[in-house]
Amino acid sequence: MNWRAEAVAVWAFVVRNLLMGSRNVFFFFELIFWPMVGVVSIGLMSRFFGLTPEQTAFVLIGTMALSVVQVCELEVAYAVLFDVWSKSMKHQFLAPIGVRHLTLGSWVVGMLRGGVIFAMLAALGWWAFGFRVLAPGAGPLAVFLLGCFLTAWIVGVAVCALITLFGNRAEAFAWASVNFVLVLAGIYYPVSVLPPAVAAAAAWIPLTYFLDAYRAHFGFASEFTAPVLTGLGLAALYAAAAHAAFVLAVRRARRTGLLLKMSE
Amino acid sequence: MVPFNPVLAIDARDVAKTFRSGPLRRRTTPALRGVSLQVPRGAIYGVLGPNGAGKTTLLSIFATLLTPDAGAVTILGHDVVREATALRRRLNMASGRPSFLWSLRVAEIVAFYGRLYGLSGAALRGRVDELIDVCELGPHRRAQYNELSTGLKQRVALAKALVNEPELLFLDEPTLGLDPDVSVRIRAHIGSLRRERGMTIVLTTHYMREAEELCDEIAFIKGGLILASGTPDALKRKILLGQVVALKLQPARAPWLGDLSGVLRYHEEDGWVECTVDDADERVPEILDALRARRVTVRSVQVREPDLEEVFVELAR
Repeated sequence: MNWRAEAVAVWAFVVRNLLMGSRNVFFFFELIFWPMVGVVSIGLMSRFFGLTPEQTAFVLIGTMALSVVQVCELEVAYAVLFDVWSKSMKHQFLAPIGVRHLTLGSWVVGMLRGGVIFAMLAALGWWAFGFRVLAPGAGPLAVFLLGCFLTAWIVGVAVCALITLFGNRAEAFAWASVNFVLVLAGIYYPVSVLPPAVAAAAAWIPLTYFLDAYRAHFGFASEFTAPVLTGLGLAALYAAAAHAAFVLAVRRARRTGLLLKMSE
Repeated sequence: MVPFNPVLAIDARDVAKTFRSGPLRRRTTPALRGVSLQVPRGAIYGVLGPNGAGKTTLLSIFATLLTPDAGAVTILGHDVVREATALRRRLNMASGRPSFLWSLRVAEIVAFYGRLYGLSGAALRGRVDELIDVCELGPHRRAQYNELSTGLKQRVALAKALVNEPELLFLDEPTLGLDPDVSVRIRAHIGSLRRERGMTIVLTTHYMREAEELCDEIAFIKGGLILASGTPDALKRKILLGQVVALKLQPARAPWLGDLSGVLRYHEEDGWVECTVDDADERVPEILDALRARRVTVRSVQVREPDLEEVFVELAR
């Protein structure tokens, strides 16, 4: 494997996504407006209900995770969506690259944007509601963010696979799927309050464990043993599955002609 | 697998492709039904045919964008399915209906695709500058793609297709919808690519003049089958179109000429009588003798070769 060529191909998508993002007003709203609205409204609601600082931290962690995962996942999905919208899908699959280059390049930009959003929301949460994301230390925070980014990558790549399988009809997945995952993972509540069947489904979602592990540092007893290890294990499993699904979807699109259809 | 022939850029045997659609994918549309063709290295090869004939499907299979259902295709010594990644480094494609990311600038588009082929740093910058110069995109270098005219978009597509200096270039209707002066320049550029870089070029087109002017060999495709192939001259001979003897007569009509020996077709157009004959050298004196015998005045005689359009019409019939 030529590592330089690998890095250059990934970099191509980093540059592309950054350029596209910098020229779209919609991205500004995605990056700043909606996440800010989320933190301010949830923070004010917690004040209205007279929640303790720990409880406020609990829900603000959820809303920050929501913003970070959403933005990062959308950026990964843009790996395919940009080309579907511009009908230029065939050009990149004509080049000697793999789906890993598309998704990794987009993920790097997703983490960058997610990181910027998190920093802004953390500053806002500290200033407005006294919530300090660094209270548990840099290590737990880094693991929590890693969990958010891994979840975003998995959902984003799965969305890319669905779009490549079903064409434009699957676009809605890009926005809907991550919300579904976040609701199950318990963004505003512990998964123990979910009905047993739903809680069992939540136990299969990596983000559930990363939220649980981070919140444990704010005084909430962990519901799982070794949540970080479990979360990382599940994330690795799903990452491999999502990648394989995307590879197979591209192979199928070459067979059915969908790759060409999405370029017309 | 087809045995590797170093003289051929493309060696395709019995390529078939059927598209399936509808519920349970029951509706089938055969696009290619056993196409075989060989393209020599360094040639400009034209694939002609009416809409829906299978031209783009064939090119897409050669470009690894589509996998064939049956048959074997070897391109530049690589199997088109099993060795697709290695092959992709050596070929590229431009479409007459180009589309790229709307808000990227011209230089950014070329650079993006350059990176996908492993170019970076000074080499990438140099290639981008060179292609922008070659494709006359200098004044539009910083223009966003969605601000460009159709002709400029075609040139961006061509610049992108040359970014990896391909040995084999596919051009899908490269002058579609362009103004005549732009088409002339693009055709000249395609010719120079072969002359100066020794590139093998396979192009599809609707324009017979374009094919006749550019192509060393041509394949006519219709209904997923190649009906005829060869050099433009050989094709004209192959389908027995013969030569056309055009006559201006007084009186203007002489339909009985169609009954003469060696006259394949009688046709009247714009006051001219046109007789398609098997051999003009032999038949023109016979026609003139027959006209003189019937006291028909001949005001003008012209002999011309049939053009490719007539071959196309004949085959598409």
